[in-house]
Amino acid sequence: MRKDLVFGMAGSGGDGIVSAGDSLLQAAAAEGYHGVMTKSFGSQIRGGESSCRVRISTTPILNPGGNLDVAVALNWEDFLKFGAELPVAGTTVVIYEAATGIKETEIPLVGVTPLQVIAVPIAAMAKETAGTERAKNTVVLGLIAGWFGIGAVAVMKGIRKKLAKKGEELVEANQRAFDAGRAFAMEHPLKASMNVAASETKGQVKLITDGNDMCGAAAIFAGCQFFGGYPITPSTEIMQFFTDHVWKYGGAVLQAEDEIAGIGAAVGASFAGKKAMTATSGPGLSLKSEMMGLATIAELPLVIVDVQRGGPSTGLPTKTEQSDLFAAAFSAHGDVIRPVLAPTSVADTFRITIEAFNIAEHYQTPVIVLSDQEIASRKETLDPIDTSQFKIIDRLRPAAADLVDYKRFKQTENHISPISHPGMLGGTYLASGIEHVESGAPTNSGNVHQRMNDKRTKKFDPLKDRKDLFEVTGNPDAPIAMVAWGSVAGVCREALAMAQAEGLNVKLLVPYLLYPVAENVYNDYFASVQKGLVIEQTHLAQTFKLLRMHLDLPKGVTSLARSGANPFLPGEIVAALHRLLSELQRSHEGNLQPQE
Amino acid sequence: MSATCEFQAKDYKSDLKPIWCPGCGDFSVVQGIYRALAAIGRPPHEIAFVSGIGCSSRIPGYTTAYGFNSVHGRSLPIAQGIKLANPDLLVLAAGGDGDGFSIGGGHIAHLIRRNIDITYIVMDNQIYGLTKGQLSPTSQKGRVTCTSRYGSMENPVNPLLYVLAYGAGFVAQASPTDLAGMAATIEEAIRYPGFAFVNIQSPCVTYGEEAQQIKGLKAISESLKELGHNPEDRLAAMDLAQHYGEKLHLGVFYKNPEPQPTYDALVRERQALLSKDALPKERILDLFIKK
Ligand SMILES: Cc1ncc(C[n+]2csc(CCOP(=O)(O)OP(=O)(O)O)c2C)c(N)n1
Ligand code: SF4
Ligand SMILES: [Mg+2]
Repeated sequence: MRKDLVFGMAGSGGDGIVSAGDSLLQAAAAEGYHGVMTKSFGSQIRGGESSCRVRISTTPILNPGGNLDVAVALNWEDFLKFGAELPVAGTTVVIYEAATGIKETEIPLVGVTPLQVIAVPIAAMAKETAGTERAKNTVVLGLIAGWFGIGAVAVMKGIRKKLAKKGEELVEANQRAFDAGRAFAMEHPLKASMNVAASETKGQVKLITDGNDMCGAAAIFAGCQFFGGYPITPSTEIMQFFTDHVWKYGGAVLQAEDEIAGIGAAVGASFAGKKAMTATSGPGLSLKSEMMGLATIAELPLVIVDVQRGGPSTGLPTKTEQSDLFAAAFSAHGDVIRPVLAPTSVADTFRITIEAFNIAEHYQTPVIVLSDQEIASRKETLDPIDTSQFKIIDRLRPAAADLVDYKRFKQTENHISPISHPGMLGGTYLASGIEHVESGAPTNSGNVHQRMNDKRTKKFDPLKDRKDLFEVTGNPDAPIAMVAWGSVAGVCREALAMAQAEGLNVKLLVPYLLYPVAENVYNDYFASVQKGLVIEQTHLAQTFKLLRMHLDLPKGVTSLARSGANPFLPGEIVAALHRLLSELQRSHEGNLQPQE
Repeated sequence: MSATCEFQAKDYKSDLKPIWCPGCGDFSVVQGIYRALAAIGRPPHEIAFVSGIGCSSRIPGYTTAYGFNSVHGRSLPIAQGIKLANPDLLVLAAGGDGDGFSIGGGHIAHLIRRNIDITYIVMDNQIYGLTKGQLSPTSQKGRVTCTSRYGSMENPVNPLLYVLAYGAGFVAQASPTDLAGMAATIEEAIRYPGFAFVNIQSPCVTYGEEAQQIKGLKAISESLKELGHNPEDRLAAMDLAQHYGEKLHLGVFYKNPEPQPTYDALVRERQALLSKDALPKERILDLFIKK
C-alpha cells in the first residue's frame, strides 16, 4: 500500500482537467486524506492547455511533490507544454488517450521509460456512456478510483452535488462515465498495485482552500476593514474575497482605477484609523512604490500583498517565481526599512498575514507579504485551525495625556508614537511625505532628517529578534545547511526528510521574515555550517545576495538558484546535498594529509 | 455627525506660517476655505484635508484639521480611502493644475463616476509653481516657459469641461478677485452631497503671466449669476465652460438638482444589509469547510 501519490494531468481547456483535479482533491479530503493541488495554464483565457497536479497522502503534505506517480495525458501536445511542471520518471504510470493514435511503445517522452504505459479510449468511453466527450474527465476520475482506490464513492457524491441543479439526466450520464472508467481499470490491473492506504483521519473535518482566499480570510480575521486594489493575475482573488465578505464586517473594498489609486485609498483608510491593505503582483508592485515610501515616512500601518509571478514586466504572468525579493525589500527611494514576510504554504498564509497586520500596526509601517503564484493558487486540505491562538494587535492610540499638545511623531523610547486619526478630538496633525518635526510640521533641517530617519529605522530593531519568524528543522549542529523561503521552502522540507532518511547530517532554515535581515538568527544558524545552499527561484540569486549584503556567509555556502516556472524537485535538492557531503568529505581528507 | 457649535474662520487657521511668495493667490484661497468651513461649522477634528505636492498643496498645513500633504497627483485616491473608511468625515482635497490635471488627471474621472462625497479644489495658476515655472496642462498654447522656450506646441486642458464631461454633479469656478464669492462657492460645494469641483483661478505672482494676475483676471471676470445662467442646465454650463481661458466665469456652472446617491452612502447601505451574514471572525475559516 502506498502512503502518497502524485497525479499530473493535462489536456486542452475544454477537457475539464482542472475540474477533475478539484473533484479528486475534494473526494480525497472527504476520505480523510491530505491533499495539495496546483494548476497551471497556458496564457490563453479559454481553450488553451491546462494542467493540474494533485498529491494525495495519508500524512501532512509539504509541497506538491516531485516526479509524477501517475501522468494523465488527454493529448500529448498539451501535456508536453508543461515540461518540468509535469515530470515523468521511471516510476511513473502513464495513462493517455488512445485516440491520439500513438502506440504505447512510442509515446513522445524523451529519455525516460515509464513504469507502465496504458492507452485508454477515454473519449470513446465518454461518448458511449454519457453521449458526449465532455465526460472525459469523469472517465479519468473513474480510472483513478479503479486503479488507485481514491474516491470510489466520494467522487460521484461530489459530482452529484455539483450537478444537482443541472438535472438528474446529467448526473446519471456522469455516473455511467465514471463506472466505465472504473470498470476499465478493474479489467486492466496495473502490473504492480499502487493502491493508497486508507487514511487514519477518515471522517475528520477538512478545510480546502488556496493561498489567496486564505490571505483574505486572515486579513479579515486580523481586523482589516479596507481593501483598495486593481486586478492582476495571480493576486486578484484576494480582492474578490473582500468583495464577497468585507461588507459584513463593516468594511469596504474599492476596485480602483489603477494600482496607485488602490494603494492610495488604502493609505487614506489607514490614515482614517482603519486597518487597510492592498494586493497585487509584480507590475503593480512597481507602481505602488511611491505610495509605499509615503506610508513609511507618514508612519502609517499598511499591508501590501505581492503575489509573485515571473518578471520583469509582464514576464510569465501565470507562473511562479521569487524574483520580487529585491523590489519588495528595496523599492521606494530614500532610506527605508519596510518589513517583508513570506508564507510557505496555504496553511501558514493565515498566520503570516495576521503577523503582517500585527507588525504593520505595531511599528506603524507598510509591510509586504511576499506570496507567490504557487501558494496563492494551489489548494490544500487543512485540518481545522484554532484561531484563538492568534493575538491581534492594534496601533498605539493616544491616551488623554498624549492629546494635550499632541505630537504625532513624538520621539519615544521605542521610537513608536501614539497615532491619532480623523474624528479624534485633540489629535489633529499634518501627515506628510515631506520630512517633518515631531508635531508633523514640515522641515528641511538636516538634523531633524537624521533624527527622524533614526526613529523610522531603529524602531525595527526588536523585529530582528523575533525568532518565531524563523523555523529551523533538522539537526541544529549539522555541518550541511539549506536556506529556503516561500513555496520553495516546502520542497526543501521534503528534501530534508529524504536526506535525513539517507543518513545526511543536514538542517534547514526557513525565514518567514525576509527583511530586515535578522543577522543574529543567520549567524547562529551558520555557526555549525561548513557547506550549504541558499535555494531560490530567482535568476540572479537575490536571496543569496541579500544575505551576503548583511552577513559573512561561510565560504562553503553557495547558491542554488534558477528562474521561475521550473519548480525544484525534492530529489534534485537531495542530490545537491549529497554533492555537498562529498565535497565536505574530500576537504576533510585534505586536512588529514600528513604535514611535511 | 456631531452637533455644530459656533466656529469662526480663525479657528481653522493653523499655527504654521505660509511660505508662499507674498501676493500669491493661494493666500486668498486658504482664507476662502476658512470662511467656508466656519459657515459650515464642523469642528476641525472631523475634517480631513488632503493634498498632493505643489505650492498650492501646502494648503492643508495652513488649515487646522486632519491634514495630509501626500505625494504629487494623488490627493484624490487618498481622500476617497478616507471617506470610505469613515463617511462621517468632511473630506476636502486640493492641489494645483499640474497635480490635478497632469500627473493626477487619471483619477478625477473615477472619483466623479463613483460620486464620492468629496470637495475638490484646484488652484489653477496655469504654471508649475513649486518647480519654478514649467509648462502646466492648463498653460495656453504658445506659452513661453522654462520648458517651452520657443512657445508650447500643445493645447491646454479645459478643467471645467473635463469634469462636466465626466458627469460631475457640482462644478464651479472662483477667484481671489471676489473673496466673498469664493467662500460662498466653496461652502456650496462642500454642502453638495456628492463629488464637487471648484476651479480657482489663483495667480502665481512669481511665474504667472501678466494677464493672469488679479488685474487681468478682474478684466475678464463675469458672474454667472449676473449673466442669468441656470446652474441646473448642464448643456448651458458646458457652453459657458468653452470660454475657459478667455473669460473668467465666476460662480456655479452646474449643480445637479437631483444628486445621485453617493458611493459612500451605498457602501453604508451594503454594510447594513450584509452585516447579518457575518460569521463570527474567529470562525471565518469555516468558509472553507467542504461539506
Ligand atoms: C512624482 C513626482 N514628480 C514630480 C514632482 C515634482 N513636482 C512637484 S510639484 C510639481 C508641479 C507643481 O505644479 P502644480 O501642481 O500646478 O502646483 P503649483 O505649485 O503650481 O501650485 C512637480 C512637477 C514630484 N514632487 N513628484
Ligand atoms: S511660486 Fe507662484 S504659486 Fe508658488 S508660492 Fe510663489 S506665487 Fe504662489
Ligand atoms: Mg500650478
